[in-house]
Amino acid sequence: MSKNWYSDLPQYYQRQIKAMGLDEAGMNRRRMLKGMAGAAGVAMLGLNTRQAQAATQMTYMCWEGYNDPRIIDPFNKANDTEISFDLIVDSPGGFAKLQAGASREVDLVSSDMPWITRMGPAGLALELNPDDYKDVYADFYDQFKPPFEPLMNEGKTIGVATRWGWVGPCVNTDVTKPEVWKTYDPVFDPANKDKICVMDWGDWPILPMALHAGINPYEPLDEKQLNEVRLVLRAMFKNTRTLVGDLTQAQKGLLDGSLLGCIGAGSYLTSAVRKQGHKNIMAVVPEPKNGLKQGIIWVEATAVLKESDQPDLSQKLLKHVVSKDAAHILALLDSTCNVVTNKAVESRFTPEEKDILQMDYMWTAYDNSQMHRIAPNIDEMLAIWQEELAAAQ
Amino acid sequence: MDMEVSRSWRDPELWVKALPSVVLQTTCFLAPLVMTFILTFQKTQNFQLNWTWSLATWTDVFTKPHYWTILGHTLFMAVACVVVCIIIAFPIAYGLATRFKRLDNEIKVLITFAFITDATLKTFGWVLFLDKKGAANYLLAHLGFPAETVAFLFTDWATLLGMVYNLLPFAIFTIYLSIDNIDRSLILAAYDAGASKFRAFWEVTLPLSRPGIWAGSVLIFLLGVGVFLEPKVLGGGKSPMSAELIRQTFETRVNWPLGAALTLVLMVVAIFVVLLFSRVAGMRRAGA
Repeated sequence: MSKNWYSDLPQYYQRQIKAMGLDEAGMNRRRMLKGMAGAAGVAMLGLNTRQAQAATQMTYMCWEGYNDPRIIDPFNKANDTEISFDLIVDSPGGFAKLQAGASREVDLVSSDMPWITRMGPAGLALELNPDDYKDVYADFYDQFKPPFEPLMNEGKTIGVATRWGWVGPCVNTDVTKPEVWKTYDPVFDPANKDKICVMDWGDWPILPMALHAGINPYEPLDEKQLNEVRLVLRAMFKNTRTLVGDLTQAQKGLLDGSLLGCIGAGSYLTSAVRKQGHKNIMAVVPEPKNGLKQGIIWVEATAVLKESDQPDLSQKLLKHVVSKDAAHILALLDSTCNVVTNKAVESRFTPEEKDILQMDYMWTAYDNSQMHRIAPNIDEMLAIWQEELAAAQ
Repeated sequence: MDMEVSRSWRDPELWVKALPSVVLQTTCFLAPLVMTFILTFQKTQNFQLNWTWSLATWTDVFTKPHYWTILGHTLFMAVACVVVCIIIAFPIAYGLATRFKRLDNEIKVLITFAFITDATLKTFGWVLFLDKKGAANYLLAHLGFPAETVAFLFTDWATLLGMVYNLLPFAIFTIYLSIDNIDRSLILAAYDAGASKFRAFWEVTLPLSRPGIWAGSVLIFLLGVGVFLEPKVLGGGKSPMSAELIRQTFETRVNWPLGAALTLVLMVVAIFVVLLFSRVAGMRRAGA
């Protein structure tokens, strides 16, 4: 029996050291941090023995929902892992956190696609070999199979798409007709003053308004085009009742009819309300205007961190997250429901679940939408947003 | 004979005693502040910090008027909150310290409960109350008032209401402590000298409770310039205040140098306002 650095310690401590994964590979900074976090967890929370004895500790930065025990527990059990979560509340914030050093502790990230793609040039994400994911992609809708250009950086795949949906007006069909929202014109109609809600979620309300102004925000913009964006935002603020950062406020307003429509959100906002039986709340996509598609398809994706000390397990977890079983759970969470990229899940959905997800409408929405990706001038547009908001007060 | 204590910087004992505090202040306050200041001279590129020295951020801050519009609005709201809080808190604190002595423990417990209840919960509670279809309008409609009588949700008034509601206990407690510490014999002496109740209050109670008013004002002002929940939830986000601007800049724009610069500007301006107010109040006291 070989002697190692902890052989002289009592048996109890030796077991803990093994459980924390500090036994063989030595004590690098990453292991030290994870070990400390694990030890602190055990000491402070009195975690049960099974968790403390998991062979591998992993950290998963994700939106709420990806951490659902029904998704994660089977993986932990099958792989003898203990996954801790770093829940993000907005994608830029998560990206900023990774850049600030969290990339050293995080193994896997599930976030909005543009921010996953940005992880490529930022040197944060591990480039994936699509051939390693053939079995995963076999179940995918064709639209998200490789080469899926929005998730690529210089020809390399950065992540795998997981959930998706569409951005368009969210309306209550009891107080307005979906046909009225074939354009974004009602947003600017003086008759709707103080009846429009805008989701204050970074670029989400800006991009549809740019499209309405005839500007494609996913292409490089010149000063004149940016000024058009400025004007359309200025006009939008005139009719806006509230900018909300919280889904429930918008959902409540739509349900009680105090809000006619909500801009900058979409199926992400409506699906959870529909799950509760309010089928009168729906997300629609305006029709193309002068050849420019007015809707936006958002996609969430998952990537493995370059600095992960468990690259194989992380890729295994990634495959697990997009698997049929996990994707079915991910599609119908309590907080939000969304369609997933895994086509095989369709067979599991009941007609009611399909109705909740507006699956009869999803390809219409897809066909009338831009694929959300990195908007080259987004920082200028966000600055314009701040300026116009300050001017509006 | 009084022993004069020598306090010279050459005194090693003084250094030893001051060392923990100096280390704490340096590591937890000064060092982050210096790092924040250094950060303002860097640039971002493609949402990443680019360690290149530049004055671009400060040029941006001093040339874009909207930052100052939002800062001005923030200061105005914070000052308004201070004024309203003091006006409301003083009679409550005075009553607690003088008229309701018998019940002051129960009342303090109630105020403390309001104090420790989560601000998010309370703020969203106001939304449910003030909404077009909320409890206030429902009750008023049943009393015969026109529909949607209460219609100030998502305005600055609603923001102010939320700020006052959440920050009021700070003023109540600081003023209460101040009034409670007033020597009652001074007030009785004023009565003996022929002062009316109002004159005794004006000449004795109010001046002696000034430290509490001042402490409460500073506390509320500094907390007021940092609020982001109330303007976002009750104000409808249409009149953003500096904290929200800074959050947006750090998180949504991932522009850390600009966020750091706006943070420093807010800090400096807030401290300047407090010092200015302090000086004016000091001059008035000296002149009185």
